[in-house]
Amino acid sequence: MKPRRNVWAGFGSTAWLIVVALPLYVMISATIQTQQGYSSHGPLSFPTTFTLDNYVGAFTSGFGLYFINTLIVTLSVVAIVVVLVPPLCYSIVRSRSRFATGVFRLFLLGLAVPSTAVIVPIFYLISVAGLYDNLLGVILPTAAFALPVCTLIMSGTMRDITPELYEAMAVDGATPVRTFFQLVMPLSKGGLSTIIVFSALQAWNGFLFPLILTQSESTRVITLGLFNFQTQYGVNVPGLLAAVVLSMLPVLLVYLFARRALVQGLMGMGGK
Amino acid sequence: MTTLAPRKRSARSGGPSVGRPGAVWAVPATIFFALFALVPLIFVGVLSFTSWSGLADPVFVGFDNWVKLIADPILTKSFGLTGLFVILGLITQTPLSILLGVWAAGHQKNRAVLSAIYFVPLLLSSAAISILWRALLDPNFGIPGQLPWLFGDGNLFGKQASAIAVLTFVSMWQFTPFHTLIYQGAARAIPPVLYQAAQIDGAGTVRQFFSVTLPQLRNSIITSGILMVVGGLTTFDTVLILTNGGPGTDTTITAFYMYQKAFRAFDFGQASAIAVVLVVIATAISLLVVRLSGYDKMQSAQEGI
Amino acid sequence: MNTHSRWLTRSLAGAAVIAVGLAMAGCSTGSSGASSRPENVIHVAVYGDATNKVEEQIVATFNKTSDVKVILDKIPGADYQQKLQTIISTKAAPDVFFNWGGGSIQDFVKAGLLLPLDDFIAEDPGLKDNFLPAVFNTAVIDGKPYGVPMRGTQPVMLFNNKTVLAANNITPPTTWEELLADVKILKAKGITPIALGGADQWTTLMWYEYIYDRVAGPGLFEKAISGDKSVWDSAASKKALGYIKDLIDAGAFGTNFDSVKFTDGGSPTLLRTGRAAFELMGSWNYSTQQSADPDFAAKDLGYTAFPAISGGEGDAGNVVGNPNNFYSVIKATRYPDTARDFLKLMYSDEFVKASMAIGNLPTTTNTEQFLDTAADPAYATFQFDLVKAAPSFQLSWDQAYPPAAGTPLKTAVQQFFNGQLDEAGFIQAMQAL
Repeated sequence: MKPRRNVWAGFGSTAWLIVVALPLYVMISATIQTQQGYSSHGPLSFPTTFTLDNYVGAFTSGFGLYFINTLIVTLSVVAIVVVLVPPLCYSIVRSRSRFATGVFRLFLLGLAVPSTAVIVPIFYLISVAGLYDNLLGVILPTAAFALPVCTLIMSGTMRDITPELYEAMAVDGATPVRTFFQLVMPLSKGGLSTIIVFSALQAWNGFLFPLILTQSESTRVITLGLFNFQTQYGVNVPGLLAAVVLSMLPVLLVYLFARRALVQGLMGMGGK
Repeated sequence: MTTLAPRKRSARSGGPSVGRPGAVWAVPATIFFALFALVPLIFVGVLSFTSWSGLADPVFVGFDNWVKLIADPILTKSFGLTGLFVILGLITQTPLSILLGVWAAGHQKNRAVLSAIYFVPLLLSSAAISILWRALLDPNFGIPGQLPWLFGDGNLFGKQASAIAVLTFVSMWQFTPFHTLIYQGAARAIPPVLYQAAQIDGAGTVRQFFSVTLPQLRNSIITSGILMVVGGLTTFDTVLILTNGGPGTDTTITAFYMYQKAFRAFDFGQASAIAVVLVVIATAISLLVVRLSGYDKMQSAQEGI
Repeated sequence: MNTHSRWLTRSLAGAAVIAVGLAMAGCSTGSSGASSRPENVIHVAVYGDATNKVEEQIVATFNKTSDVKVILDKIPGADYQQKLQTIISTKAAPDVFFNWGGGSIQDFVKAGLLLPLDDFIAEDPGLKDNFLPAVFNTAVIDGKPYGVPMRGTQPVMLFNNKTVLAANNITPPTTWEELLADVKILKAKGITPIALGGADQWTTLMWYEYIYDRVAGPGLFEKAISGDKSVWDSAASKKALGYIKDLIDAGAFGTNFDSVKFTDGGSPTLLRTGRAAFELMGSWNYSTQQSADPDFAAKDLGYTAFPAISGGEGDAGNVVGNPNNFYSVIKATRYPDTARDFLKLMYSDEFVKASMAIGNLPTTTNTEQFLDTAADPAYATFQFDLVKAAPSFQLSWDQAYPPAAGTPLKTAVQQFFNGQLDEAGFIQAMQAL
C-alpha cells in the first residue's frame, strides 16, 4: 500500500473516532458530576466534582425491575426466534414445495412492513387478547417483527451448505429431522449466532411496542424507563445520563466478553 | 414430519428428493408471522375506512379518511420530509460505512481496536441515544453552549434545516456502526485473487477500490440500502424524543404524524389510512429494489467467478 | 458432528422451555384484563409523579376500614392521557381515575362512560360544598359534575431570580410597561430576560393564556371553546397577538428558546443559575427548583402574579393554569359506594395536611387553616390568596380542548411565536381546531 493513502485513512478514522467517542466521554463525565458541577462547567470540561449519587439515584428509581423485565422480554424473543427460524429456513432452502418459495417471498416483503404502521391494529389485537400491559403482549409482536431479517440471514447461511452434503445424508437414508439436526444446524452456527444477536438487540432496545402496549410500573422496560425518567418533574441531566449508561451496561458486558461472536454475527448480516 | 410428498420438479441443485423437508417445517413461523404482521396489515386497511377513537366500536365511514388524507397539508409535507430524511440517511451513511467497513476489514491491530470503539453506539437503544444527544445539544448547557463559534446561539431545534441536520447526524451516529459491520464482513469475503489480478493489471489502490471492492460489495449495498430505507421510513423514537416533530411541523415525518394522529388525537381511522400509505410505499420501494437487483434469487456475487 | 448435534438439540429444547416458561412468567407479572371487573377491589389510576406519596397514604388509610380495597395504579406521566383513552372503554379500565377536568374528560362523558356525581353529592353534599367553587366547576360538563378535586391547585405565576433582579436594580413587574422596561435593562446586560422552554410548547402556550386573558378577558376563550370560532378573528384577539409579538420582538426570550425544554431541566437551570431573570411557570416550578437546589428555592426564588395590562378587558386578579386535578368515576364500576366513600377523603384533614407537607395546595375550604403547616407557608399563602381572590381561573387551553385539538393548537402556538405563522395564519389555525 502507498503511504499516502494511509495518511488519509488515518486522518479519516481518527476523525470518526472523535465523533463516536466524544459523546461517550461527555456522557460518562457528566454522570460522575453533581448537577451544579455539570451545568456550571459545560459538558466538554474536565470534571471537577466527583459523585456516584447519580447512579444510586437512577437505580433506586426502579431500574432494577426494568432490567428484569427487559431481560424477560429479550430472552423470550430470542427463544421464539431460535425455535421458529431454523426450521423455516430449512424448509425454504431445501423444500421443493411452492409453498416454501411463497413463504420466502412473503418474509422478504415482511422486511418492508414498518412496525410503526401496524401498531394500531396490534394494539387492538393485544387488548382483545387480554395481553395489554403484559410482557407477553410485548414479546410476541417484537419476535414477529424480528422474523423477516432473521429469516433472510439464516436462509443465506443454509444456502451455503453444499448439495453434496445433503446427498450424502440422503444416501445414508437420513430423515429430514436427522438431516436438520446432524447436518444443517451444526453448519449454520454462524447464522444462528447472528440471529440471536440481532433479535436480542431488537428486543433489548425496543421502544415502540412497550410504549404502546404497556402502562404500569411492573411491566416497564428500560427504554420506557429512560423515556419517563426524562419527562418526570425535576429531572437532572447527570442523573438522566447515568440511567442511559446503566441501560447499556449489560449489553456492554456481553460485548466485552463475547465481542467476537457478536461482531461476527452481525457481520454475517450483509450476507452474500 | 414430512408428510407432504415432494413435488417432482427439476431441482436446481439436482440430487435425490429423499430426505427433503416438507412445507410443514415452514408452517409454525408463517402462522406466527401472519398473526402479528399480516393480520394487522389487513386490519389496518379495514380500519382506514372507519372512524374510531378507541372509546366505542369503529364506525364505517367509507372514504372519509382518504378524502381528508389527500387534503391534509401536514401529511403532504410529511411525505417530502420522509423522503428527504431517507435520502439524507442513504447519502451520509452509505459512503461512510463503506469506507469504514473496507478500512476495518484489514487485519491490523490498531484497526481492530478502533473498530471495537466504533461499535459502541450500536449497543445503545434509540431512546438512550436520543436522550443523550438531546442533553449534549442543549443550547445553554450542552456542547453548543461551550462552542459558540461553531454553533452560534445553539438554536439547533428551533430551525428546520438544523433540526433535520441533527436528526440525520444522530441517525448516522447510531446506524453507521451497523452498516460498517455489514461492509466489513463483505469486504473480508472478497477473494484476494481479485486484488492480485488487478495489481498485475497495474491498478492502484483507488482503482482497485472502484473496480474490485465496490462491485463485489453490490449485494451488501442492496441489503444495507433496504435496511436504511425501511429504517428511515419508520424512524419514530428519535423524532419523538429529539424534536417532537418541531419546530412547528418541520420534522413531522409520516411515521411520527401517524403516531400523533393515533395516540395523541385518538383518530385511529385517519392514522390507519396514513399507515396504509406508509406500508404501500415501503413495500413498493423494497419490491423495486428486489426486482432490479435480482435479490430474491439470492445469488452470491462470488458465484460469477 | 454428533457432539454438535446433541449440543444443538439440547439448546433448542432448552430454548423452547425458556420461551414457554418466560411467557408464563410474563403472564403473571402483568395484570390480566380479560375477565370481567374484579371483585372486592376498585382500581384508582393516578398520574405517576412525586405526589403519589400522598395518594399512597390516603389509600392505606382508606383500606384500613373498607372491605372493598383500593388498588392504586400509577401511570407514568408523559403519556397518561393516551393510556387512559386506550383502556377506559375496556375491562381493564380503572374505577376511579385522575384527570384535568374540562376537555380531558369531555369525550368520555359524550361516550357515556362516566358516572355523573349528582347522586353522590345528594348523599353527601360535602363532596361539593367543601371545595372552592371556581375549582369544582372545571369538572362540570353540560351542567353535571363529573369530578372531585384530588390534588393541589397549580396556578401559573411569574417566577424570578431575586439575586439577578437585585443586581440590576429592578423589582418584579406589576404592569406590562414595567415588564417591557425590565426586559430592556436585562437584555442590555446580556442576561436572557425570560427563560422559556419553548421545545415543550405548553410552556409557550402559558404566555398566550395570560396575555389573552388580560387583553381580551376570559370571555373570549370561553366563547371559543364553546364553538364560537369567530372570536379568534376579533379586534381583541388581534390586539393580544400584538402584545405577544411586541414582547418577542423586544428580545424577551432570547433567540434559542425553541431548543430549550422545561422538562429536561433546561429552562429551570437558566433561571437558577442567573442566566435568565424570569420564567412563567406553573406552581410546581417551586418543587422542581427545590429538588435541584433547596437553598435557591428557599432564598432566591421569587414569584408574583402576572402583570396587569392597562386598557385590557381582563381583571389583573385572573389566574390561568390547572385549577386542580380531579377524580372521576366510571359508570361500569362494580362498587360505586366504595368509590364515593373514597372520594370523601379528598376533603379530609389528613389529605390536606399530607398534601401541604409535600408542597401541594389543595382547594378545599379547610385548606386555609392549615396554611402554616405547609413546607413553605409564605409560598402556600401567596398561592391560596391568589386563587381564592381570582375572579376567573382558566384551565390551560390544551387541557380545555379535547385531545384531538392538542397537537394542532400547540403547533400553531409555537409557529406564531417563532415567526413561521403570521397573525392571519394563527387565527386560521385556531379556527380550524
